[in-house]
Amino acid sequence: MVNPKVAFFKFSSCAGCLLNVINIEPVLLTVLSVIDIEYFVMAKRDNHHGPYTIGFVEGAVTTPKEVLELKKIREECAIVVAMGTCAVTGGVPSIKNFSGMNQDQLTKTVYAENIYDPFLASIPAKGIDHYVKVDAYLRGCSYDLGEFVELIKRALKGEDPMFRPHSVCNECKLKENVCLLVSKGQPCMGSVSAAGCGALCPSLNRQCEGCRGPANDCNAASLAKTFMEDLGLSKDDVVRKFRKYAGNTPEFSKGAEAAL
Amino acid sequence: MLVEAFVLPKADLGSFVEKLKAGYEVIGPVANDPEFVFAPIDSAADLRLDYDTTILPPHKKYLAPPKETLMTFSGPATKTGEPAPAGKQVLFGMHACDVNGMLSLDKVFLGTYPDPYYKARRENTAIVGLNCTEPCANGFCSSFNTGPGMDTGFDLSLTDIGDKYVVCVGSETGKALAAGLAPAADADRIAKSKALRASQEKIERHIDIDNLGEFMHQNVDNPVWAELKERCLACGSCTNVCPTCFCFAVKDQVDLTLVAGERPRDWDSCQYLEFSRVAMDHIFRPDRAARIKQRLYHKLTYFAQQFDGSPGCVGCGRCATYCIVAIDPVEVMADLRDNPGEEKAVKLYTPPDKKVTPETSPWEPLPAKITAIKQQNYDNKTYTFSFVDPAVQEKYTYGNGVFNEISVFGIGEVPISISSCADVKGAFDHTIRAVGNVTKALDKLQVGDIVGVRGPYGVGWPVEKMKGKNVLVVVGGVGLAPLLGTIKYIANHRDQFGALEILYGARSPKDMLFTDEFEDLRKIPNTRLLLCVDDCLGMEWGHNIGVVTTLFDKMSSKPDNSIMITCGPDIMMRFAVKGMLALGWSPEQIYVSLERRMSCGIKKCGNCQIGPIFVCQDGPVFKLADIQGLPEAAL
Repeated sequence: MVNPKVAFFKFSSCAGCLLNVINIEPVLLTVLSVIDIEYFVMAKRDNHHGPYTIGFVEGAVTTPKEVLELKKIREECAIVVAMGTCAVTGGVPSIKNFSGMNQDQLTKTVYAENIYDPFLASIPAKGIDHYVKVDAYLRGCSYDLGEFVELIKRALKGEDPMFRPHSVCNECKLKENVCLLVSKGQPCMGSVSAAGCGALCPSLNRQCEGCRGPANDCNAASLAKTFMEDLGLSKDDVVRKFRKYAGNTPEFSKGAEAAL
Repeated sequence: MLVEAFVLPKADLGSFVEKLKAGYEVIGPVANDPEFVFAPIDSAADLRLDYDTTILPPHKKYLAPPKETLMTFSGPATKTGEPAPAGKQVLFGMHACDVNGMLSLDKVFLGTYPDPYYKARRENTAIVGLNCTEPCANGFCSSFNTGPGMDTGFDLSLTDIGDKYVVCVGSETGKALAAGLAPAADADRIAKSKALRASQEKIERHIDIDNLGEFMHQNVDNPVWAELKERCLACGSCTNVCPTCFCFAVKDQVDLTLVAGERPRDWDSCQYLEFSRVAMDHIFRPDRAARIKQRLYHKLTYFAQQFDGSPGCVGCGRCATYCIVAIDPVEVMADLRDNPGEEKAVKLYTPPDKKVTPETSPWEPLPAKITAIKQQNYDNKTYTFSFVDPAVQEKYTYGNGVFNEISVFGIGEVPISISSCADVKGAFDHTIRAVGNVTKALDKLQVGDIVGVRGPYGVGWPVEKMKGKNVLVVVGGVGLAPLLGTIKYIANHRDQFGALEILYGARSPKDMLFTDEFEDLRKIPNTRLLLCVDDCLGMEWGHNIGVVTTLFDKMSSKPDNSIMITCGPDIMMRFAVKGMLALGWSPEQIYVSLERRMSCGIKKCGNCQIGPIFVCQDGPVFKLADIQGLPEAAL
């Protein structure tokens, strides 16, 4: 049997999600025995053109050139997976969408003066499903390796992975972590954020930052109100929280708007 | 009779625990600063019997754990094993609320179709309760008589009376565990009673349980729910920490061979949008207010209706404690009582009284071979199955309109109605549309392939009541599958029934099922088959165009001495029922199938609940009169 061909692509992002692929050491060799990695510039020298069975895409789309590349990837891949928060919601790059500056002002702020390079032509940062149909999502900054392997298995079987978009509170309670918000008064975002990470941060005594984006039908506006009225966070802090990873999503937009 | 009681000086607690450890793993409350959790202890020094409450209820954590493997497999129908039975454990220091919560969970897991995994743990678990002489901050147990002291459910119960515990015996096991303790003096017993009475008097939080079920049903549309919707974060913490919440999801996991793996169950929650999701992304409870209501109604009325009057809320206060936005049932109920809805007569649903105790595990799918596959239309196939073991097939009987769980290990299980007639022996049919992961996997199978089947489950069409009466069958789309067996049954026993009329509607001619059997149906004596489609798609079509209710003008069925049975999409059934009622039919003579929401089939996982109903066991076929006007039923 011929193994399915897999490719890894990257747009505007930190490359951490690609690097994370190599972190699956305990199952790396087994995974490599069931798929053939045809294109992975970070990890191998010998890369091949498509078509591919699965294309994993890291990064937000922030330039017109990336839009064209993404559309080509869509044509070449039977299954397109948005890999990591930037590709899913726009992620950290999407913070610029809410800067209040236009593109020209942004370019001048970020880059040295008098530089004009078409390469810098920038558009609002979006997740890849803003431009193409996406078949599956690996949420998180970075995503959970268990979910990555699970997704490969489900894709090979031709199934919807059906990751459960429950809240982080769900996984946190099952671990019997002390609630950072209720017991310690910290502005943890776990109640409105999608789990799948195993409540990683709260389990290490750190607040959830919502890196995996909104949980299903979450009520960010109510949490924003709690942050301000009960925990005393400033309006700006609350807005920043909801726009850090998933400000593009309608759910977290409601959190930011409730604070404004 | 006086409860047998002993005393345990506090100084002797250490040696008492050491003695327990000889026969049990001892699990008790320990610090998880600043809160408490139940965990295995090394010695009594770890115990924090001054704990107020724990994050997870101990009985849920150790009897029905958050994730547990039901079985392992090595192929689509090849079971390889089950987890080893649990060792002996003692839950030491359980409060009265949790002991009562456990008794409620017993009704769920040990009632009809006893769950072997829960049962094994339960039988290996001894309970040493701890009565609360100091009430916790958020508890309201006295409202439900589930605390601060416990009357039942324990092997031993401890009550702190100063320098010693009064130890009451609740079972033979408890009596053995108390061996060697000095008997309690009258003064000790009096001290215990006084301590508990004083504790009860200190409890300031209460829910008014007067006429609670009726009151809840009168307040389904109370504006309180819309306000709660604005606050609730939908995080689901309330259900996780609840001592009586039991819902779970089953989802197969495979290893990288893609065929071997395990079938686990994980706690799930009605507070999540996707809890009520079924194939084709239909979500039955999309409104957050409806989900909040589902939880509180289940706690305060449905649970007792479903499980012999057992309390669905034991007043532990955890949901209020761990709610970020402080949604507190005590406050919600006080708000409702202050602003009550109209007092009107309400009928509380009572499920059929039945207890099924199968010889084998109700979770175990038995291998069944596909003996024939017939393409029905572009997206439906009829599969004929026969159990691989002839003895199993020989014993297998079913009613018309009931369902089986079809299992493909590695993908999952799906409840599907039986489309063959109960008269058929040696085989049974399922007509299946490939829409979800399991049905898509079935779609790829060939004759000779083996899947797992367990069942049959549920209450089918009321064939006995239909005898001697005219039968009107109103069907939409794939709804014909669970009805075809009954139609054939009537044909096979024609003299036992009156006139038969079938109104069958579908989206288009190509969406119709069993079209090649229509001629046979028309040949059944004293039978009419009327067809209609929403759109004939330009195809030749000599029948009605329009929804199925447009056939009502043409039908000859009359309400007298008749029964109507109907199955189809929710919206079709809603309009069909409305139309029939307008024509003078009574809710006593209308039967509907609500089968779409089911999951486990055995009244365990909680997915199929519509208000107080468990569709999988109370139905899927219901008499309209029994469910009319219930919250959520929408018929």
